[in-house]
Amino acid sequence: MPASFVDDRRAAALELYEREPVPTWRRSGFWTTTLRNLRLEELQPRHYDPVQAVEDLPDVVTDALPDRMADGRSQMAGLLVQRGASTVFASVDPEVAAQGVVFTSLERAVEEHPELVEQWYMRRLSHEEGKFPAATAAFWTGGAFLHVPANVRLERPLQVVYLIDEPGIAQYAHTLGVVGDFAECSLREYCLAPDFDGQALHSGAFELYLQTGAQVKLAHFQDWGRGEVYDLSTKRVEIARDAHCSWVPIHLGGRLTRQTLDIITAERGSNMRHTGLYFTEGSEHLDLFTTDLHEQGDTTGDTVWKGVLTGDSRASYEGLIRINRGAQNSHTYLQTHSMLLSPKAKADAIPSLIVETDNVSASHGGTVGEIDEAQVYYMMSRGIPRVEAVRTLVEGYFEEVVQRLDDESLTALVRERISAKLAAAEDNVVEFTAQR
Amino acid sequence: MSLEIQKLHVRTEEREILHGVDLKVEKGETHALMGPNGSGKSTLANTIMGSPEYEVTEGRILLNGEDLTEADPDERARAGVFMAFQYPATIPGVSVANFLRMAVNAKREEPIKVKEFGQMLKANMDLLRIDREFTSRYLNEGFSGGEKKRAEILQLAMLKPEIAVLDETDSGLDIDALRIVSDGVNAMRGPELGTLIITHYTRILDYVTPDFVHILLNGRIVRQGGAELASELEDKGYDFVREEAGVADAR
Repeated sequence: MPASFVDDRRAAALELYEREPVPTWRRSGFWTTTLRNLRLEELQPRHYDPVQAVEDLPDVVTDALPDRMADGRSQMAGLLVQRGASTVFASVDPEVAAQGVVFTSLERAVEEHPELVEQWYMRRLSHEEGKFPAATAAFWTGGAFLHVPANVRLERPLQVVYLIDEPGIAQYAHTLGVVGDFAECSLREYCLAPDFDGQALHSGAFELYLQTGAQVKLAHFQDWGRGEVYDLSTKRVEIARDAHCSWVPIHLGGRLTRQTLDIITAERGSNMRHTGLYFTEGSEHLDLFTTDLHEQGDTTGDTVWKGVLTGDSRASYEGLIRINRGAQNSHTYLQTHSMLLSPKAKADAIPSLIVETDNVSASHGGTVGEIDEAQVYYMMSRGIPRVEAVRTLVEGYFEEVVQRLDDESLTALVRERISAKLAAAEDNVVEFTAQR
Repeated sequence: MSLEIQKLHVRTEEREILHGVDLKVEKGETHALMGPNGSGKSTLANTIMGSPEYEVTEGRILLNGEDLTEADPDERARAGVFMAFQYPATIPGVSVANFLRMAVNAKREEPIKVKEFGQMLKANMDLLRIDREFTSRYLNEGFSGGEKKRAEILQLAMLKPEIAVLDETDSGLDIDALRIVSDGVNAMRGPELGTLIITHYTRILDYVTPDFVHILLNGRIVRQGGAELASELEDKGYDFVREEAGVADAR
């Protein structure tokens, strides 16, 4: 009975899932995230056959992996692709595997490494957090599991892709990562969909544990395209003693996204940087809630989120700094900025602070603004047309976040997507900035 | 080849600031436009550049005979007009070098070759005694007053306009920075460039000698002369012009 811990959890989660109503998230009276347009009963998990080579994957995947091949050899340490409910591609570089790294679907890991998985599985996540965390715990298939053993250092990134390429799909996804003592790696998780007509759901769970002295560069790249993809996910990172995590979530599209992103500095000396970016367009709705939780003292945090809104999109970012009793000598900082490029877009930025101890430094700030016409005028006075000036200013505004990706190919991808989105919104944006 | 301003009336939302200004700057000439605070100097500079904050209600702005009165700022820049800002905007996330390359390319059909751009940049930075690392900083972000003004003159040198308007480039500079900036402006003087130096003080004119001096008071040019007019102003102050023009000291 190797996987009973998973089955037990599925049973408990299913019970909760069936009991819980579909949630609505309300905040301070004027912000509501509702799923009333989601036709949940019409969405089903769908299974697919595996593919033999990266090239056989849909374009939406290969386009997002610009560095997949060079000199005939993969530039990745490993790639795992889940399409709908099925793991359709899994590869890990033999040199990486030889170092003891496990990188496979969570389903397989449960079979092949039950003791290891059981030790970490849902240690910091709970199916009791709500209807969709329960759904994910009850229904997940495929999934991703990463274990980097102590002292192993990987230069090249490990990549996990969750792909939805048809409407009508419900995808329940679970990634579990464990990075051992003094190990180092870079992990990227992509959530991708092409533009399609119709609804789909990605209900995701992500948990990553950094053990003593581990160093991880983590990136989430979400671009669900222009279809009606709903993303309801919880992502949590726990950092142990003297370990460091730099986490860069990039949100570039999705009909409705409600995510909880938590980073926990759980032991002394742990520190994190959390740097996020979003770009919403059309009628997209984005609702992010991040927590920077300091459980012990002598920990540091640095959170920066920047967003741009076009069309009649809505984006809300709530960032909480929480410093527990006894976590003295913690130092942390959170700032959030939103830039409105359309008169119909609405942004909400709410930084907050709960500090239960003394002798800490914690500060936060938030702004919601527009492109400064003085900057546009200045650039135009140098011969640069308005359209190019606006694009350059938006790219410059995001630059701080993009730099922190510290990853050339991902940086190029993010820049390219932002530039395409700005081009798509160009007429609106130019009109808006010129009118004011 | 010239910038010609004809009977220019300019207003903001609140009130009219320029009440019929005439001015002609030929290529190869250096003009100084002087006036006390509130006389309309910066309004004139920004109207020449096409700032959306000001509305021309009467009169015209011509460059080489072509009417630019309704043109957007970028069109004016590409036609050969440049203004060094009194308070240049900060452009976060865009390095000085990238900004300059973008601005240089905006005027060209084919983008400038990397090597040619590098050589031009180095030559102009040497001229203005600017450190190499300066070009990788984000434009005007965290710059001191002197650095901002030098960045403006660096842009002037890189963009090689036909007409340059320097809006209070001397204000807020210490004497060393003023000398560097003035040397830069002098080095660019020549038959290909017409310059309009806008200033409150006569200080910069000790380093850059103008061919013509115009005095602006309450939105009108009340006196014109050669470099000696600046010296006279330095001795007597603006009050003597006010008395002469019979204008009360009110905005």
